[in-house]
Amino acid sequence: MRTTRTRHWRREKALPYLLLAPALVLLAGMVYPFGLGLYYSFTSYWLQYPNRFRFVWFDNYVDLMSEPLFARALEFTLGFTLAAVVVQVGLGLAVALFLHGRIPGRSVIRALMLLPLMIPPVITALMWKIMMASTNAGILNYMLSFLGVDPINWFGSTQGAVASVLIIDTWGNLPFVALILLGGLQALPTEPYEAARVDGAGPAAILRYVTLPLLSPFIVLVVLFRTMDSLRIFDVIYATTQGGPNDATTNLHIMAYQYSFQWYQMGKGMAQAIVLLLLVVIVSYLLMRLWNRASESTS
Amino acid sequence: MRIQRRWLTGLLLATSFTMGGVLGASAQDDEALAYYRQAKIDWRQAAGQSLTIGLNKHPFTESLLPLIPQFRSLTGINVEYLILPEAEYFTKLVADLSQQRGEFSVIMTGPVRNWQYVPPNWILPLDDFLNNPKLTDLGWYKLDDFYPALIAANRWNGKTGGGVGEGPLYSLPVLEESYILAYRKDIFDQYNIKVPTTLEEMAEAARLVKKNAGIPGIVARGTPSVASMGTGFMSGLKAYTDGQWSEFDDKLNANFHDPRSVKFTETWIGMIRESGPPNWANMQWYDAMEAFTAGQAGMIADADFFAANYEDPKKSKVAGKVGYALIPAGQGGKPYAGLWTWALGISKATKNKEAAWLFVEWATAQRTLLNATLGYRNYNPARASIMNDPRVQEIMGAWGDGSYLKVVAKNLETARVAWTPQSERTRLGDIWARSLHEIYFQRMSAADALKKASNEVDKVLKEAGIK
Repeated sequence: MRTTRTRHWRREKALPYLLLAPALVLLAGMVYPFGLGLYYSFTSYWLQYPNRFRFVWFDNYVDLMSEPLFARALEFTLGFTLAAVVVQVGLGLAVALFLHGRIPGRSVIRALMLLPLMIPPVITALMWKIMMASTNAGILNYMLSFLGVDPINWFGSTQGAVASVLIIDTWGNLPFVALILLGGLQALPTEPYEAARVDGAGPAAILRYVTLPLLSPFIVLVVLFRTMDSLRIFDVIYATTQGGPNDATTNLHIMAYQYSFQWYQMGKGMAQAIVLLLLVVIVSYLLMRLWNRASESTS
Repeated sequence: MRIQRRWLTGLLLATSFTMGGVLGASAQDDEALAYYRQAKIDWRQAAGQSLTIGLNKHPFTESLLPLIPQFRSLTGINVEYLILPEAEYFTKLVADLSQQRGEFSVIMTGPVRNWQYVPPNWILPLDDFLNNPKLTDLGWYKLDDFYPALIAANRWNGKTGGGVGEGPLYSLPVLEESYILAYRKDIFDQYNIKVPTTLEEMAEAARLVKKNAGIPGIVARGTPSVASMGTGFMSGLKAYTDGQWSEFDDKLNANFHDPRSVKFTETWIGMIRESGPPNWANMQWYDAMEAFTAGQAGMIADADFFAANYEDPKKSKVAGKVGYALIPAGQGGKPYAGLWTWALGISKATKNKEAAWLFVEWATAQRTLLNATLGYRNYNPARASIMNDPRVQEIMGAWGDGSYLKVVAKNLETARVAWTPQSERTRLGDIWARSLHEIYFQRMSAADALKKASNEVDKVLKEAGIK
């Protein structure tokens, strides 16, 4: 009798841990590499000089701050993120509003919009790289030639490369933004719209004073997602410009990759990755607070 | 007719390799094995052992894979392999070598890569294997059949700043790559443009091609990476200074800002700006090669074996229209060209050293490399006997109306590894390439950008403990 109770007690006590086990394993799988990376960022770990491995405290971080390329990469990381978020959320909202209206073939358009999401970003990037060839042999320049536009030097000029990366990233992520916002639009209550119409509000006023405030939690949510992704964008840049030309598209992630995997300076590479992580965490935290506030105000 | 025969030969070889792989030991395999069994060694001395080969994605790799069952039949050694694209391959390789895990027994490497692997003692010298009669029948293997320049390139005495061609042999070459000038003979003839023999003439020829034919006069690698530096640009710079200039002075101080280097760079970048393609700064080697192959450039100074692409009528718009010449030289007229070889080496951490050597010996044997050239277009052959094989001559001899083979042969008389041995070559090349972008985009003068590059390289070498 006592044994059964003990067994039962043990089972009762063990059950939560058992249920938690997968999450704990997952957590350990995440924490260990992060901890290792953090540790390496305080060392002189350089793959090809294993004998020179030592703990250097904050030397890697201090070196980074004095590196001119770091300032440029940080500037590009933040500038690109701002541009990408503004362009993608702005266009995404326009597309969502368009698809929310009663238009013929809406379901077909929605299905087609999913296509870019199904293509791996590297493939997207390479596809666009071919289309954006700098001469009229590139289909994009060829199409633009009908509008009287001279061939654009997409990847061979600094401004062209920045614009190219932004266009490719936008093409790949616009559907995501549009679909989230469309989902938000469809979930909005109808009463405020009816009240606004009774008060004589036009479409612009309804958009400004009803739709946007009600949609704000969704907007903040996509801004959050797109900010995090844009801060750490890698694949599109690596597959098209590799950070060039003239370092115009080098962001912190590309720089961390170069240090770690081109030059094998793992310590410095990890320090950059940690700086990038901190940046993502801080910006995400601020956006989360904004999201909470927006959710509370609309509810 | 010649093309049809070549196509048929290729088809027959490809079919035979595929069938061999699928059906196992066929009559052809037996014949092939008989060739290897002529060597007076016991190929089965390491039977039962296992190897993992690290391979870069490359025509040589393609040629090797269908033959691996033959190697298994010959030796009883089990072979596994991992094939990765070049950048990922080298990262994985350095991770494996640095931790001495021995995951890869045999590696695909090359002279400048060995400079990274030799100082920390990660790869084995091959001389002991070569000179061990139990492991190598030198009479059968014919080491002297390899072009001497290629063997020299894979020897290094381990001293930073020099010593190439001396000391132990660290890898055996599987192909030859040196740098020559390819030009559109039809355009040059049509507009009476002189084939350039100096940098200034090259810039003028590029200008005339652009003016008359309306296409870029020259195409070249331009991405901000070491890969853009070691071929046409560096060979040109070395030739411009009659081989006198080097990336370092006697005290291992970076030397990019040397006045001769500044002058050459100004002229080269000026030529690219004036007559090159608009997207030069984003051009990888394959972009440059494809642009020339597509008839979108008048000249290209790059790898000699790109000719296989230019002269392939199935892919190329310029097949039969290309002429070949040495890289334009300096005032002394002394030719200079850089050199690279993909090669096979052995990781020190491997547990099965003899088995690894047997694989290297088999993979770099005359017959294996001949198959790679005939069946998989693994150009240019590293062995003279393969270059002189009538079937190879029939294919390559037609390129450039026969000028190709002559230029390659002439080039090989003096071609050598252009880089100075030190383990931070990749970083150095990346820094150097970035400085070219500063000049191209007119952010800095050539003198300032190259001085900045020198300072950065000095800093890196100091940090790495090299100087």
